[in-house]
Amino acid sequence: MNTEALKDLLYKIADDQLILGHRNSEWTGFGPLLEEDIAFSSMAQDKVGQSWQFYKILNELGESDPDTVAFMRNADQFHNCKFVELPNGEYDFSLIRHFLFDTAEGIRFNMLSTSSYEPVAQLAKKIKGEIKYHTMHANIWIKQLGSATEESIGRLQQALDYAMPYALGIFETSKFEADLKQEGIFDGEEALKAQWLTQIGEIIAETDLRMPEIQSLQPQLGGRYGEHTEHLQPLVEEMSEVFRVDPTADW
Amino acid sequence: MTLKSLDPRVKRLGIPEEWDTPLSPKETLDQFENYEAFIQVKEGKALEHVGPVHAPNEEMAFLFAKEQYSRRGMFCNALCVVKTENIIGTEFSDNGISIYDAVTAQPSGIENQSYEVFHLLKRGKQHKYVGTVMAKDFEDALVVAKHTYPSQKPVFNVWIAESEHILTSNEEDKDMWETLKEKQYREAIDYKGQDRIKAYKERMGQA
Repeated sequence: MNTEALKDLLYKIADDQLILGHRNSEWTGFGPLLEEDIAFSSMAQDKVGQSWQFYKILNELGESDPDTVAFMRNADQFHNCKFVELPNGEYDFSLIRHFLFDTAEGIRFNMLSTSSYEPVAQLAKKIKGEIKYHTMHANIWIKQLGSATEESIGRLQQALDYAMPYALGIFETSKFEADLKQEGIFDGEEALKAQWLTQIGEIIAETDLRMPEIQSLQPQLGGRYGEHTEHLQPLVEEMSEVFRVDPTADW
Repeated sequence: MTLKSLDPRVKRLGIPEEWDTPLSPKETLDQFENYEAFIQVKEGKALEHVGPVHAPNEEMAFLFAKEQYSRRGMFCNALCVVKTENIIGTEFSDNGISIYDAVTAQPSGIENQSYEVFHLLKRGKQHKYVGTVMAKDFEDALVVAKHTYPSQKPVFNVWIAESEHILTSNEEDKDMWETLKEKQYREAIDYKGQDRIKAYKERMGQA
């Protein structure tokens, strides 16, 4: 088993979830509807909970304990894609991100449920239900607002066009792509992306939204290996503010 | 008699100053429609009414109901929503009397429409799902329900809705209600303050 390849995979999954979980949690108290406020908060907790599970596996593979890993790194040590660290902006962008990211996540975990690395396969199966709800939630909202009024369609289209290059950054290939495939750990980002394009295309086709020209876009890469936007470091500082006051405190 | 108020909220109501003048007609409100949500708390239990939601369509009503009325992992196994206007309710019967006592007709024998039936067995409690009947219309469905689902206890009120008007969570999506068990960080109980409180109390007691 190529442990380095495995860790590389687990870090990017866990960091994506932690960072997006934190971003989603910023909607608490600000949701456009009470139910959406609750939904984003609840999905945020799911994501943070999932990231914790992945950090625990990393811990078993020799990395530091989950709290230290989550709260004591600086932005350039994070492996999340740039997409998840972008500020929430308006609800239109947050919803589009939720739709694009969670669809990819759902497919990723479906692929990982047959991984040769048993702890990951087990975990992927355990969280399938949570992610099923996240994607269902996203799809219903996109279908609703993507075909409701001129304003809602226009806003979502703008958000979609802005988000797409960043969303393509989810599929930034790993240094270990070949190893992961060869060992049956993960089928790879390209396979994931292909399925993702089909799935989001199907939902978008049910709305008045246009799918951006994927071929003409420049994916926003770099996040997987520590290159981030200026938005990540402030997020990390805020997220770890309390922990860093006294990292040895017993909670 | 004239009505005068300095309160802007009362002024906003646009009540005519002259008593008995008819109110001007209101504009139609841009409002979501009402749906009723039902939840099955546990495998094998009946779906029971939990409350209303307001939503632009059935699927959105389902999402809102899920957020408002379900707790994953513990208290929800299935969820369904139905537009309130699609539920036909009977009158309420008095104590000790079943609403079915007033139903004397015989089933029509025409079974071309599927209906879902909900009973209210205790005042102040929720309507609970009892089952499906095949009938020709609502009145007929009530008759068929009386024969199909006889109740020992009086049924105070019956709700009936066409089966196709109900959106229910899929059996194969049941895992949607499951959640990672390890979420102590969400529970107040995980913050171990009790030991310290106890120690403090003991210290204070000794002092």
